[in-house]
Amino acid sequence: MKRNPIFHIAMMMYSLIYFVPLLWMALSSLKSNEEITMNPLSLPTSWDFSVFGEAFISGGLGKYAINSAIVTGTCTSAVLLFGSMAAFAFSRLKFKFSKQLMALITLGLILPLQSYFIAQNALFDFLGIKDTRMALILPYTAMGLPLAIWLFRAYIQNLPKEIFEAARVDGASDLKVYQTILIPMLKPGIATVAVFTVLSAWNEFLLALVYIQNDDLKTIPTGLLTFSTRYSTNYHLLFAALTIVTVPMIIVYVIFNRKVIEGLTEGAVK
Amino acid sequence: MKPTARWIPYFLVAPAFTIFAIAILGPIMATFGLSLTDWNGFSTPSFVGFENFTHAFHDKIYMNSYWHVAVYVAATLILEVVIGLLLAGLVSSKSNTTFYRVAFFTPVMLPLVVISVLWTFLLNPDLGILNRLLGQLGLESWQHIWLGDQSTALLSISVISGWIFAGFYMAIFYAGFQRIPSTIIESARLDGATEWQLLRGIKIPMIKNLTEVAILLCFTGGIQVFDLVYVLTNGGPYDTTQVPTTYLVRVVFRDQQMGYGSALAVILTLVVVAVGLLYNKLRTKDDLVVEY
Repeated sequence: MKRNPIFHIAMMMYSLIYFVPLLWMALSSLKSNEEITMNPLSLPTSWDFSVFGEAFISGGLGKYAINSAIVTGTCTSAVLLFGSMAAFAFSRLKFKFSKQLMALITLGLILPLQSYFIAQNALFDFLGIKDTRMALILPYTAMGLPLAIWLFRAYIQNLPKEIFEAARVDGASDLKVYQTILIPMLKPGIATVAVFTVLSAWNEFLLALVYIQNDDLKTIPTGLLTFSTRYSTNYHLLFAALTIVTVPMIIVYVIFNRKVIEGLTEGAVK
Repeated sequence: MKPTARWIPYFLVAPAFTIFAIAILGPIMATFGLSLTDWNGFSTPSFVGFENFTHAFHDKIYMNSYWHVAVYVAATLILEVVIGLLLAGLVSSKSNTTFYRVAFFTPVMLPLVVISVLWTFLLNPDLGILNRLLGQLGLESWQHIWLGDQSTALLSISVISGWIFAGFYMAIFYAGFQRIPSTIIESARLDGATEWQLLRGIKIPMIKNLTEVAILLCFTGGIQVFDLVYVLTNGGPYDTTQVPTTYLVRVVFRDQQMGYGSALAVILTLVVVAVGLLYNKLRTKDDLVVEY
């Protein structure tokens, strides 16, 4: 295909809409507060990276990141394990009430968060699990499961039936088939579901806002919001915080961009 | 297949279903029940029938919040879906466009709260770069307190939403375009079709199903917009950007009106489900288009 410089120049110009805000954020974190207010568009005069350490440790960002990692890791493992187990049963095994149970779980794909979070909040109050990590792990897992089961089921139904029947002839039990045959064959599906679950849990805001008041347990979205109120006039520290949160995510994203884009779009379109 | 032992399927389904039932199914039913009560979260709920719903339909802020969200959805249909479609057309018209696709998708995977905080700075009247750039271009009259001015706040939120999600819809449409058999595209090119004709005449009609899914996503996602509005304006100034979700959170967690809040939640749920069902009815099934 022939090269087209005009096309690429135009596209680069358009890309600036995305690059300029992010670049401005990163550069502003290196400027002093006076520089930021006087000359928002100038480059930093010195390259002092200690501000990142300050935001990470005394600002508490490190703490929020660890909380996010624990919550996201736990709920993603649970979604992958329980979701694949249930999807295997729903797609390959005959049992009573399977249609009804699947229909109920499908409700979770349609109904918005608002349809249950008020009573969920009351329930967690009653159980005394608000302000614990469980208050996030439990709903994030429950929210991830319907989509995981739905996608896994579609993947399993596309696998040739004969594989499962052959294993049966060889005398393997269903649990053995799940472990030794299904899981290895489900790997592409697992990657898609994992991307979707990880990002939804990592970025979730409303429930985290309502269920976690203890600063030591806050995740990145609510932690960053607390941070931004606490340091509302300390601009360069705030920009440093924003940069710390976004840059690692962008690096991981650039490396795995195909999987991330696939995971998020397939998860949404389902 | 019949399971090798009768208990196995139940064993496989039990953990997922139990978690789902405790965290979601139970609370859904309880929320519907609570919507018929007056409850502050501490006392015993008292049954009031449909009073909360009557109240809701006379609640000016709540009714206006649907008007605001309708404006937001209409704006994002253009700023997200239409722009996403155009971007997909552009990046699929040439080879070697991975860079642009990756760049345009970046905001989609970042936390909305983080992006919202960043945008409050970009639009900040004193140190934000938007007003500064307008000033340097000699367009002082275009400068605004974007998020604090009643006439620009909702529009600003919609534009930011477009900045985030146009890349998302681009990715969906791009994936669709890639599934169109290349022989069709190549023969149209040989016949001298321009890229624009190709997009309008072949590519867009062939991904019709996907466009319908995208519009539905934009609708149902838009009605539930929360993070962006909460951080950018929290419904202000003077409730001019109040959307159903932000008002709901205010009623439940600031005013402690759990019963009334539940009724508002039930109405919102019914609206989302109704939009989904209505849309499914209107959708035409067409065998000629590419399945996603």
